[in-house]
Amino acid sequence: MKQPQRGDEKANVLICALGTILIVSMIGGSVLLNCATRYNVASNQVRGWKEALNAAEGGGDIAYAQVRKTVMDPSNAFAGWTYSGGVYSDTPVTFGSTSTLTTSSAVDIFYYDTLNGNPWYRIRSKGTAPVRGLKRTGMDDRMLTGARGDSLLRKVDFNYDHFIAAYGPTGDGTNKTIVPVAQPQVTRRIEQICAPITPFEAAIKCIGTFYGLGDAALIDSFDSRNGAYYFAALSPNDPHYNDSRSGNVEINSAVATIRGWVYGDVATNGGTIVRSQYISGTIDNNVPFSVPPYYLPRNLPLPQPSPSAVTDAVTIIPPAPGTEANPTLYLLSSFSGQLTVNSFGSQKTFVALHVTGDVTGSIDITPLVKAKIFVDGSIDVKGRDIVNESGLAANLQYYMISPSDPTTRQHININPPGNFAAVFYGPSADLTINGNPDLKGAVVCKTFYANGTVGWHYDRELGLEGDAVDYRITSYVEDIR
Amino acid sequence: MKIAHSTHNRLGFTLVEMTVALAISSIVFVAAITASIGLQKSFNAIDNFFATHMQQIRIIDYLSRDVKRALIVTTSVDLQSVSITVPQYIIQAGDPEAVANPSLIGTPRTPTISYSRSGSQVNYGSSTSSVVYAISGQSILRTENGVVTTIASATDQLIPQWTDVDLANTEYTNTTVTFLPIFTSANTAAERTGTTVCATAYLRNRRRG
Repeated sequence: MKQPQRGDEKANVLICALGTILIVSMIGGSVLLNCATRYNVASNQVRGWKEALNAAEGGGDIAYAQVRKTVMDPSNAFAGWTYSGGVYSDTPVTFGSTSTLTTSSAVDIFYYDTLNGNPWYRIRSKGTAPVRGLKRTGMDDRMLTGARGDSLLRKVDFNYDHFIAAYGPTGDGTNKTIVPVAQPQVTRRIEQICAPITPFEAAIKCIGTFYGLGDAALIDSFDSRNGAYYFAALSPNDPHYNDSRSGNVEINSAVATIRGWVYGDVATNGGTIVRSQYISGTIDNNVPFSVPPYYLPRNLPLPQPSPSAVTDAVTIIPPAPGTEANPTLYLLSSFSGQLTVNSFGSQKTFVALHVTGDVTGSIDITPLVKAKIFVDGSIDVKGRDIVNESGLAANLQYYMISPSDPTTRQHININPPGNFAAVFYGPSADLTINGNPDLKGAVVCKTFYANGTVGWHYDRELGLEGDAVDYRITSYVEDIR
Repeated sequence: MKIAHSTHNRLGFTLVEMTVALAISSIVFVAAITASIGLQKSFNAIDNFFATHMQQIRIIDYLSRDVKRALIVTTSVDLQSVSITVPQYIIQAGDPEAVANPSLIGTPRTPTISYSRSGSQVNYGSSTSSVVYAISGQSILRTENGVVTTIASATDQLIPQWTDVDLANTEYTNTTVTFLPIFTSANTAAERTGTTVCATAYLRNRRRG
């Protein structure tokens, strides 16, 4: 008869095996638990937190593109956006490799520049990214007693949107409500400020070929905020010396013949400066830039009923002083006569003229008037036809509206005699200055030609003047609540 | 009787058998205990390593968030602390707006624009907020306007170092965080170097200092 052998020994082995399995299982379970926590934090929460910022900044970029369109493509700016209460809002955009990131933005004008009337835009963007994995809080418990780290940094919404519940949808404390979230998520909010870029950052900015200004000519600068112009560029001890050497010339072409003295910097795009001893500042031949076409601003008011043309002597007295952002507008079909613009009483008066044809007539603006002239055609005048009684170039600004057909030529011809103070912005216009005028101002043009003994004095105040030609992000802040 | 005889043959082990069995069992037991302890220590070290690594990431994430929205970043000479000036985006109690209208406390502030010879500038209120990161014992502290938060702490010598580099109108901050793992060989410097986590963050605003 066979009987079981050593049954008690088998039991011992079983106990040992179970004990070992228990120990290994406990270690394995502990490893798994901790790995899951690490993975949850490192791979899911950290990733979600970073992706939420990427989404928010992506939304900011989308909104920024719309802000830039307000000057570069006004008719399509904020197309498809909702406008309510002074705020443009877009519908949430979904993107990312798995289309799980969402962003939305709100844009409003919060300020009009007191110097040039341009709007400043505020962009508030929100980006949301999902947090995958387990609904677990961070690793605050792994720090020493009393420490809090993750829960203050990466605010994960596991069940409800904490921001809307605590601060409201716009963060101003109104309309607070409990909003469930479909899945755990992280939302980050940023605010960016778009500042207008004004056009006259250099004395002369030329997109194409450049020739000028004549062997005995000079380009220098001054600051009308510090007093009237006088030549100080060769007097280092003069208090206005530092203002006198900003007569910068920027040329986006290698075809550049620079003549005369330049008390400022010169930049070309691949050119070679052979008369560098006549240039006081820095020479850089590797500075490409672009200037977009110019379009009529979108925020102009309705025009006055008259006059509708200037074919002989016309005097305008605006019905109100207006503001930089809201000038009195006149729509002129032709401008071949003599126009005088008076101020509204003794107040600073802001006027805008939109000339749908060419400008061949003369203009006289009295000292308290600041005028912007938008020209659809070309300009052919003498220097003496540009009478700016204040002597401040910022008070008389010409803007050449770019033709819809890029092959259409547009020009600004200024002939002798006469000196003047004005600025010209014509990225699609060929500029020609004949004779020997003494002028205060700045120009942006397509091509430049001047062959006389021109005295060109750039007013540094112009750096803050003029209609916006682009926008830049000038402030960034995150709402970290 | 056959059965009795058979039972008699199974009465027990010899002394030699017992000794050998005991020796082998002891060896196996000691090996198992040693392996368990080693495994536990190894797990503990790895667990601690990654827990501290997560704190490295947290320090960097905190700092990057603050640097991006900063106006000024200044590091100390010993690179052990960094001071950051950030816009005061949210209206706080005691601010002029809050004094005039207490309901504005906790709401975003509308910025104002000021002009200087270097151009225009966006301001959130008349003052700014101060954020300081510093080491205190085994902890890394973040102090914003006097409110202290321990953002990281560990017993394995967590050390962040900050440097800031000024550029024409911006600056960036390099952050390097190291620690000394529990398991180290004789070359502790190399062990610390092996834990290095670094990151660079740029100011999104124009530098003001």
